[in-house]
Order: sequence, then structure tokens, then C-alpha cells
Amino acid sequence: MIDYLVTVLTEGSIFAIMALGLNIVWGWSGDFDLAFYGYVALGAYMTLVLTVGPATDPTTYILGLTLPFPLAVALAVVSAMVLALIVGAIALRHLRGIYFSIVTLGAVYVLYVVTGQFVPLFNGYNGVSGLFDPMGDVLGLDYSSYSFFYLGLCIAVLIIVLLLTTRLNGSRFGLALRSLREDERAAAAFGRDIYVTKLKAYVLGAGLGGLGGALYAGYLTAFNPSAWSPVETIILYAAILVGGRGSTRGVVLGVAVMVMGLQEATRYLPEIANQPSFAPALRLIITGVVLVLFIRFRPQGILPERRFRDKDPAGKGDAAAVEPVVTGPKLDTGAA
Amino acid sequence: MHEALLTLGFGLVAAAILSLSALAFTLEYSVTNVANLSHGEILTVGAYCAYLVQQHGGGVILSGLAAAAGGGLLALAVHNGVVDRFVRRGIGGLPTFIATLGVSLVIQNVLVIIFGASNLGYAVPQGAPRTVGPFLWTDTEIQIMVSTVVITALLYVIIVHTRFGKSLRAVSQNRSLARVSGINANRVAALTWLLAGLIGGYAGFILAESVGTFSPYSGFSFFLITLTAAVAGGLGRAVGTLVGGVIVGIALEFFGGYVSASYNLAFAFAILSLVILVRPRGLFVGGRRSVFE
Amino acid sequence: MTVLLEVQGLHKHFGGVQAVEACSFTAAEGQITGLIGPNGAGKSTAIDLISGFKIPDAGKVRFEGREVQGKTPHVISRMGLIRTFQSPREWPGLSVLENLILACFEPRRERFWRSLRGPSRAEKEKANAQLVEARAILDEFGLFHLRNERAGNLSGGQKRLLEFARMRMAKPRLVILDEPMGGVNPVLGERMAAAVLGFVTAGTSVVIVEHNLPFIERVTDQVVVMAEGRVIAEAPFDQLRGNPAVVDAYLGELPTYDDAES
Repeated sequence: MIDYLVTVLTEGSIFAIMALGLNIVWGWSGDFDLAFYGYVALGAYMTLVLTVGPATDPTTYILGLTLPFPLAVALAVVSAMVLALIVGAIALRHLRGIYFSIVTLGAVYVLYVVTGQFVPLFNGYNGVSGLFDPMGDVLGLDYSSYSFFYLGLCIAVLIIVLLLTTRLNGSRFGLALRSLREDERAAAAFGRDIYVTKLKAYVLGAGLGGLGGALYAGYLTAFNPSAWSPVETIILYAAILVGGRGSTRGVVLGVAVMVMGLQEATRYLPEIANQPSFAPALRLIITGVVLVLFIRFRPQGILPERRFRDKDPAGKGDAAAVEPVVTGPKLDTGAA
Repeated sequence: MHEALLTLGFGLVAAAILSLSALAFTLEYSVTNVANLSHGEILTVGAYCAYLVQQHGGGVILSGLAAAAGGGLLALAVHNGVVDRFVRRGIGGLPTFIATLGVSLVIQNVLVIIFGASNLGYAVPQGAPRTVGPFLWTDTEIQIMVSTVVITALLYVIIVHTRFGKSLRAVSQNRSLARVSGINANRVAALTWLLAGLIGGYAGFILAESVGTFSPYSGFSFFLITLTAAVAGGLGRAVGTLVGGVIVGIALEFFGGYVSASYNLAFAFAILSLVILVRPRGLFVGGRRSVFE
Repeated sequence: MTVLLEVQGLHKHFGGVQAVEACSFTAAEGQITGLIGPNGAGKSTAIDLISGFKIPDAGKVRFEGREVQGKTPHVISRMGLIRTFQSPREWPGLSVLENLILACFEPRRERFWRSLRGPSRAEKEKANAQLVEARAILDEFGLFHLRNERAGNLSGGQKRLLEFARMRMAKPRLVILDEPMGGVNPVLGERMAAAVLGFVTAGTSVVIVEHNLPFIERVTDQVVVMAEGRVIAEAPFDQLRGNPAVVDAYLGELPTYDDAES
């Protein structure tokens, strides 16, 4: 039982990191990016090929440098950001709305096909494996204590990411990003460089995606195309939408509900003999239905993004009050 | 040269299927301004309906009809159940687009639960390839192309010469203006989606016939290529889409034949991205613009 | 009288239609310049070309002597030329106060790393001053009680006032107002006129596009008349009435403009 709990929490924190990254792109900057899971996958692959040894026959993959895990994670994040910089620089230049989504969908499919077909890169459909208990040796952990250590690591990283996004959320950078989401023309008319600002958010979000992917690789010990498909992005979107688009607390709640909760709820389904894919398929059906219903009935999510509330009409004010979200205990009803 | 002609022959088959699918997609887009991400599932459902009919001893014609009917009903359901409600509530194009992605996920996985995730195939044989001029086609492939030409011609007649076609064009140009001039825009949109579903469902059947196998995911993969053709032709423009479908279909076949069939999807998206980036409103219109134009 | 904005031979066509043709005029510092003309005269296109939202086919736009044609909107905005749009473009999901705060573009504070580090002491003080100023401006426009409201929930007239308030907050050298009276209850006319005149007092020159001619007569120092993409007259309003080209363009509407009141 405790082992199971550790598993769920580890996965949950990893997915929360990814969702917080995607929330920067979709929740704040307002771009419906379908390439996001590509950055997660690249982060995972890069972590693997940087930590495991050189490929031996019949497997083939690049690098194989046996680097220490933390260094590999850092490099994996950087490579995800570099890829996002390239894709974003092209796609964000002139495209918005569905055209942006279509091009990013195209980009991730290209990546998907290439990783599956071009064997010398990441060993094709068989993928890369062999990352067992990263940092376990160095720290002298045995099998049972290792899973606790890794959970702790993931939660620690999640907390850092949460601190970072909360800080950004209340900053002028975060406010400027949301002005792009709300009305791009007005943002440009008031001096915001839309392209550069959106690109920054895009690369930052992808970096968190890559970080999530890197931790995921360490958790799974292996990664191959069956571990990810462009559809995975939808699950992250469903989590953000359910929790509250743009709201940091909401995203964490959304991951708890849509990733951990849904997994739990369908866990005790009876195994159907000739239907091994029943439970996952049912999960995806529920995800799809939830997505549609929330867009229609509660687009702001369960915990909507909070707006800055000015409680000090006397005019003295304190500096913190200028930063939105920091103050503001009242929940917005989100009346539209 | 001979080999190139053979490839062209196969390309024409691919172009036929692609054109139908893209035409259906563009019809959906034209009346609602919503890019339907569950369009691929119309094709998939068509393929499975035909499969069911064949399981019960139905022939090719009956299978084709069943595929069209299944696709049509699904499209109508998606329009009336989701898209139309969203559009009428004033939910924008992008959120509705995201909702159709959810619909796609639901249909795919319902099919997985009913039929399983693995590949299925039709029992009816394709027939031996025969020489037609410089080309080499099976009976099935001839059926695919002939039926495509017939359907396209019918569609042309419907759009250009009927009262419904006139309303359809009016709604696609300006929905509120059409409504003011006494057209029941919601009904026209629903009928257009039904029509698109009929075409899409049939396209799913001939796609499965031509490939040989199909799975709950095959429609979605093909949808990505459909998107390439539709966007290349200009979203919502029927003639452009048809031309886009033919060009992309043949280009893909040549790429598959001479470079690598494995990278077909990647190649399709390379075309798509290029088209969107260079000519966001389709290949057949142009001009220098700022981001905001 | 220094020239602030100088437009010279601006051209723009869409497909076969020449929207703006050889459009030339100037707007002086400290003045309110009206830009009028019948529907389809090319006024809105001209504004888009000046503010960078559309790229001209030919011609020059000089702002404070520097050529800005073809530059992107944010670059022109940072130089001190800010525009409004025909329909109000508030940031609907943000609060009214946030809309005002965001009107001040702060290149340093909006940088990523700086935002991560948090504001310095001086910046906090400045932010505080901004907040106080924003409250004062909102009070002036009668929006103070709505400061925590979602901007998208305001009425049409309130959204116009919010745009004016944002402009006051931004303090540009020149503001271009695109039909600020559009969709506004005429009862608010006096308040809007006062707001437009208030810009000059606050050091912001104004170019205003408007169909409401009494309003134009009331606030402008100089009027530019456009018809069919060209400038056909450039003079103070009271000198226009005798101008046959202007009367022609308006099909005799000008002398009997009482109906514009309604």
C-alpha cells in the first residue's frame, strides 16, 4: 500500500511540473501548443542517453556519456528549451489560434515519427533504457529506500517550480503575458513586443516540460515512443482546464484530479480478459468528456485565476498590493 | 519514366481519398468556422461501419453506403451536440477546436473498447492489378477513383445549382447576414455537416480498403494529412481544397516511393508548416502583411 | 508650432482596392487634430498604417522627425505614439486597475529575470506611486468603484472611459483616438470632450477620428478631411464649411449636421 502511494505521488508531482510548464504557455501567454509533450519526451530521451553508457549491439543511440544524473537533467532541460526556441521562433512569428496549434501539432508529429523511425537517434521504437535508480549508488540507497528518495526529489523539484511560477505569476512579466492572452493588439499598442514575450514564455514552459520529462525518465528507467504520443498533451490540458487555467493552485489541483484521481478511480475496474486496454481507454474517454464539459460549463476551472484586488481605497497602499495575486484572499466568482 | 507513371497512378488513388476527406473537412469549417479535430474519427467510424456490414455478408456497395451513413450520423451528432451549441453560446473558435479534440479522444477510445486497439481488415479482396494505359490499378482502386469523381461532381451540382447549395454558400460567407436574409443558418449548418459526414464516412471506407487495414487511430493519422491538403487549399474553400488534396496526395506518393514511406507523415507536416508559414490563407491567395492583418 | 506627426504620400491597397492613396497631412504638438471623412474614406487604414498595424505599400510617416513607416506597433508605441481601436480593446479578463497598471510599459520590470528576482526598493516605490496615480485617474473618470471589476464586464461607455484612463496612465506624446464616441451614449459626450481636451493639458497631443461632427467642431484645432483614400482638405473646422470638395464628399451633409447629434 505504501509503495503504491509513493508511486502515485511521484507520478503526480512529475505531471504537476509538466502541467505548470504548459500553464505558462496556455494559461498565461494563451497559446494552445500541441507540441508540448514533444519537449517532455526530448527531456526524457536526453536524460537517458546522457546517463547510460554507450549503445551496444543491437541497440543504437546517440551519446551514451554516463554523466551524473543532475548534470544530465540540466542538459536535458536545455535541449528541450533549444528545441522549443526553434519551433516557437518559427510558429509564433506570424501564427495564432488554430494555425499555431496545427503547426505545433505538425512539429510534434515530425518529432514522433523521427524518433520512431530514425533508429540511430534514440533506438527507434525500442527506445532507450538502462537508467536504474539515478544517484542511488552515490547516496548508498537500497531498493526500498530509493523510491522514497526519488519521491522526495520530485516533490522538492515541484516545490521549487511552484515557488518560481508563483513569483512570476505576481510579477510584471506574468501580468504582461496575460495581457497578450487577453488582447494581443492592445498589448502591442501599449508597447509589448508580442513575439519576443510569447517566445520567452514558450521556451520557459518547454523547459519545465523537459524537466518533468527528465524526472519521468529517471522514474520509468526507460523511454520509447509507446510511452508518449502527441495525445498525452491533451491529458495535461484537461488537468489545467479542470483546475483553473492560469491559476497555479488550480493546476496542481487539476493534476491531482485528472491524473492521480482518475488513475485511482479506474484502478479497481475488473480486468476484462480480452480487453487489456479497457481501463486506459475508459480513462481517455472520461478525459475527453471532462474537457468538453468544462469548456462549455466552467471554462475558468475549479479554482479560477485570481485577479489583483485593491483593498486600500485610502490611497496609502503598500508595495505588495501592486503585485496581483499576492494579496486577494477573496475568491473570484469568475462572473462572465 | 515508366516507374514515375506507376507512382503517379498510385498517387491518384491517394489523391482521390485525400480530396474527399479534405472536402468534407472544409465543408465543416466553412459553415461553422470551427476546425473539427474529430474529423478523422468520422473516417474511422465509416471504416468500422463498413466492416460490420461486411461481417454480415454485405457487399462493397452496401459497405460504402453504411460507411457514409455512419459518418453522416456521427458528424450530425458532433455538430448538434457540441459544435453548434458552443458556437451559439459564443464560445470562440479556439475553445471549440479544443472541445472537438476531446470529442476525438472519446470516439477513438469508445472504438478501442468495442473493437479493440489492434488492426482489422476487410474480407473482400482487392482484385488483381490490371493495366490501364500506363497505370497499374486494382479493381478496388478503380472503384475508389470512379466513385470519387462521381461524388465530387454531385457535390459540385449541390453547391452550385441547388437552393440548399446557395444557402450553404451564403452561410459560409457571412452567417449573421445569411440569417438576416431569412436563411435558417443552424439548419443549413447541420445539413452541411451531415453532407460532410456522408462524404467523410465514405472516405474512411475507401481509405481502409486502399490501405488494407484500419484501427481506431487510423482516421486521426489520416486527418493530419487531410489538414495539410485543406490548409494548403485554403480553409473553407472547396475548389482550393480539391486542388490541395490532389497535389498533396500525389506529392506524398512520390515522396513515399522515392524517399521513404516511413517519413510520409513528417513530410506531410513539413508541407503543411511551409504552407501555413508562407501562405497562411492557402496557396492560392497572397500579399505582404503584418501580423495583425 | 512644431510638427509632431508628418504623413507623406502614404499608399495602401487591398487586392484591387486602393484604400489609401497619396495620403499626406501633419499633426502639430499640443493640438487636437481631427481626421474626418465619409465611410470608406480610408481613415482607419491610415491609422493602422501610422501605428504600424498595417504595412504601407509606399510613403513615409515621421514621428518627431524619425521615420516610423513599416516599424512594428510596439516600437512605435514605445516612441510615444499610442492608438485606440474602433471597438474598445480592454484586457477583458484582467481587472480595471490591472488594465491601468499595464498601460505603463516598463521594459525593465517586465524582463523575465528581473521579475524572478522581484522588484527593487525603488521599483516598489514607483509601483506604489503608480497605484496611487491609477486610483486618482479612475476617480477622475468615475470608474473608481469598478477598479476591482473584470474589465470585460464594463458597459460600452465605461470601456471607452477605461481606454481614456489607460491613455492618461501611459502619457504618450501623441494619442490617436479611433472613433471614441462610437457606441457611446451621447449623454457622455460632455465627459468625453472634457477627457479629450484633458489630454492636451496633460501634455499629450491628439489625433482623433470621429463621425460625430459637432464633437469634432468642439474639440479640434485643425481638421484633416479624407475621401476615397485621399486628403481633400486640411484646415480648422470653421473654414471647411465653404470648401466645395468637402461638401461634395459629404453630399451636403456638412451644413446640416444637426442629425449627427442623435
